[in-house]
Amino acid sequence: MPFADLDAAGIARVLSQLADQRGDLADAYFERSEEVELSAVGEPPGLRVRRESGLAIRLQRGQETWLAGRDRIDAENFGDAVRRVARALPSAPYAQPDLDTAPWREPFDTEEVLAFPDLLRRALSALGTEDLAREVKISVRRHRRWLRVIGLQVSSGVERESFYSVTALGRSSRRGALYPLLDESAAEALARGLARDRFAEDAPPPKGRAAACVLGAGAAAVLLHEAVAHALEADILARGGHPEAAIGVELGSPLLNVFDDPQSAPESVRRRADDEGYPTLRRCLLRAGKVEQPICDASWSRRSDLLMPGGGRRGDRQDQPGPRSLHLELVAGDQATHQLFADADGGLYFPEADRGHLDPDSGHFVLGFPYGLRIENGTPGSAVGPCSISGHVSEVLGKIDGLGREAKPAGAGWCAKGAVRLPVWSTAPALRLSEVEVDPR
Amino acid sequence: MRTDERLSAVLESVRSSGAGEAEVFHKRGRSRTLRRATGGDVSSLRQEEGWAVRAGDHDRSFFYAASGVPEAETAWPEPGGEGLRLPEAQSPPPWTAPDDLDSPLLAENESKALLDGLARELDRELPGAGLVQAFLEDGSSEQQLISTLGVRARARQRAASLFVEARGARRRGAAVSLLIAEREARRFRPQAVARRLADRLLIAERGEAPDRDRGDFLISHGVLVPILARLLGLFVGVEATLRTSLLTGKRGRLASRHFTLIDDGRLPGGVFESPVDGEGQPTRPVTLIERGTFRQPLIDWRDASSTLEASGCCRRASWRDLPRPGATHLYLAPDRRAAVADLLGSLSRGYYLLAADGAVRLKDGHRRFAVPVSGFAIDGGRPTGSVSGAWLTGSVPSLLSGVVALARDLTFVPCGSALIGAPTVLVRGLELRRRL
Repeated sequence: MPFADLDAAGIARVLSQLADQRGDLADAYFERSEEVELSAVGEPPGLRVRRESGLAIRLQRGQETWLAGRDRIDAENFGDAVRRVARALPSAPYAQPDLDTAPWREPFDTEEVLAFPDLLRRALSALGTEDLAREVKISVRRHRRWLRVIGLQVSSGVERESFYSVTALGRSSRRGALYPLLDESAAEALARGLARDRFAEDAPPPKGRAAACVLGAGAAAVLLHEAVAHALEADILARGGHPEAAIGVELGSPLLNVFDDPQSAPESVRRRADDEGYPTLRRCLLRAGKVEQPICDASWSRRSDLLMPGGGRRGDRQDQPGPRSLHLELVAGDQATHQLFADADGGLYFPEADRGHLDPDSGHFVLGFPYGLRIENGTPGSAVGPCSISGHVSEVLGKIDGLGREAKPAGAGWCAKGAVRLPVWSTAPALRLSEVEVDPR
Repeated sequence: MRTDERLSAVLESVRSSGAGEAEVFHKRGRSRTLRRATGGDVSSLRQEEGWAVRAGDHDRSFFYAASGVPEAETAWPEPGGEGLRLPEAQSPPPWTAPDDLDSPLLAENESKALLDGLARELDRELPGAGLVQAFLEDGSSEQQLISTLGVRARARQRAASLFVEARGARRRGAAVSLLIAEREARRFRPQAVARRLADRLLIAERGEAPDRDRGDFLISHGVLVPILARLLGLFVGVEATLRTSLLTGKRGRLASRHFTLIDDGRLPGGVFESPVDGEGQPTRPVTLIERGTFRQPLIDWRDASSTLEASGCCRRASWRDLPRPGATHLYLAPDRRAAVADLLGSLSRGYYLLAADGAVRLKDGHRRFAVPVSGFAIDGGRPTGSVSGAWLTGSVPSLLSGVVALARDLTFVPCGSALIGAPTVLVRGLELRRRL
């Protein structure tokens, strides 16, 4: 495991020389990442591998932060980064920690990446969509990352993440998905999604109207991510005042109990420490619809005793960490699926959402769906084309009046905030919204 | 070992592995960034270095990229998937590197002073207005490329960008944002930026939208550049010829005779000015639309033919990325004889639109567009009121063929990995609406 043998004590000694004022925070971030990609047919080169490693030194003093990132891990680059960040010459020469990391010579293990396109085509054929199996263009990526953070207050063990991203291009659709494992169940899930896209391909969008809506687990996860998680990130809350002022505010229906829990994420992306080395926690974002704890990184948590760190994530060593959720959980309710549909008869069912946006200043929220199904006689029926629901975020969340009994992993995807793209994971049940405005897209 | 020696060693290592033709690319850069937001200032000094290999034959290929110095003792991936073609060597025309490529990066105190100055000027222009967030980046880089087909290319770049979001005195009032680029950050003028932000904030506060109105529109780069960026797919790649043919009018013209669209990777003074592209191919100006007539799409060497001339237009955002054909400095040629004031004075009744306030929407397969805009209503050549919350809409052919005059104020705006430029233009045949 890389970074397991880093001279943590030596590094901490250097950081203590750097952080020479009371209240300073200093840390050293070490990272190694690999991406193996099989590109779609017609897009050379076929196999693509990216491997990188590097470090970053950070000093935070009051409301100012200094960061120096490097693309090599060795004593020279470590020392240079420390000197760039330092606010004053040290009283004694900086210590020289041992940073020998073994050269990265592991062979490229690409078996599951190369095998997935055939797995997907077999799954499509099994659904009776042989033409889709023939025409679909597939690109597959495996993402792996190892990181370790050593600081004055924290020293994490080595954290490891591994997941896959797949893009499938049909004749007139494009579907992307993230999976913790690339196996038959991933292929079957993607095949079902592509088949549904085909089914709904030419469906006209619905007329704009108020309707009860049932959101499948995948759509519910996107709703939560955009309307709850982003809304409760400390830096977003700070645009309107002090983040801790949100604690106790009623954001949505009393049915909503929402957590961010990196330790219960899928195993290959589970985290015990965040990207600042702080222990992750099962953070309650909403309890009975009221804000309990915003998502905070170390910097925001230092501004109030009411805020807790452990929610810091960064794109890579060159980025400053910031608050972001990793694994959202919506606690399941007590309604069977047929009950959710029965009480939304005449409305619409959205298995998935493909986009969502919350304006942090106005609170206006939009959730978009690539297609929907009319709920006819209590079951999903004919398809409708692309549409969206919108409204003030608390109004939309307040319309949740039913939660399914079964929470399942769903809605994993890329979250781009401030041009930093990170994977996010969710576990959610289906849910029902009482009358919301549905508009064609 | 020097970098060029390392690259040669890597090339030899790849060639020995039997992978076929090969190319090695190396890029090294430094940048200073300053991010200012509600959480405070984050000053960062980045040093980046990485390299990449493309190798393959007609049947199989691979791409390998890594951070740090090029390493010949790398276990290369087994080629797979698609075959690969690499370009032949071509000598670029003579090019003199501009002096400002050597200018030092902004120091930390200079970058803070720039944002402090911008905040002060904004408050002076519009008391109570302030910055919500700002991101300043100033960087330099050098790259080298060698290949088994004899390509030997070097290039250096210097680029700076400034993104600001500002709000008026009312806490929950509308926010406006601006993104600009120069070759170095010392060219950003806080007073000019503050004035632009203040104008837009005032318009956002006071502006109204007409229910529906047609007329003459003076459209600044702030509106035209996002539209051109959204229409970029019409101009890049061999398929562009077919796409544009669907919009061409009965007289065989795509746009008015005032409309000439050029892409130029070596535009003198351009932020991305370079003698070669990301594959070491010579850059040159390419006229895509000449006085309204579509001449050719922007293509790279792969699609060159007897009728389609290629240019070095493949860019790599970083060493991690594959080269991709696209615009570098794409611009609508200005009329150097005309000032904006001249066009404004000629506007008896219409609108002067300054900024796009949201994303451009395209419908009906690129035939119709709509974009939220703000600006002024004009009567007798003078502003009579502010406009905001309105949609500028029309058909794409009407927009392109409706350009009747241009000013000389060509301004470039960063759009993804390209810079797109336009002067202020006078257009007829569009519509302004409160609702779509």
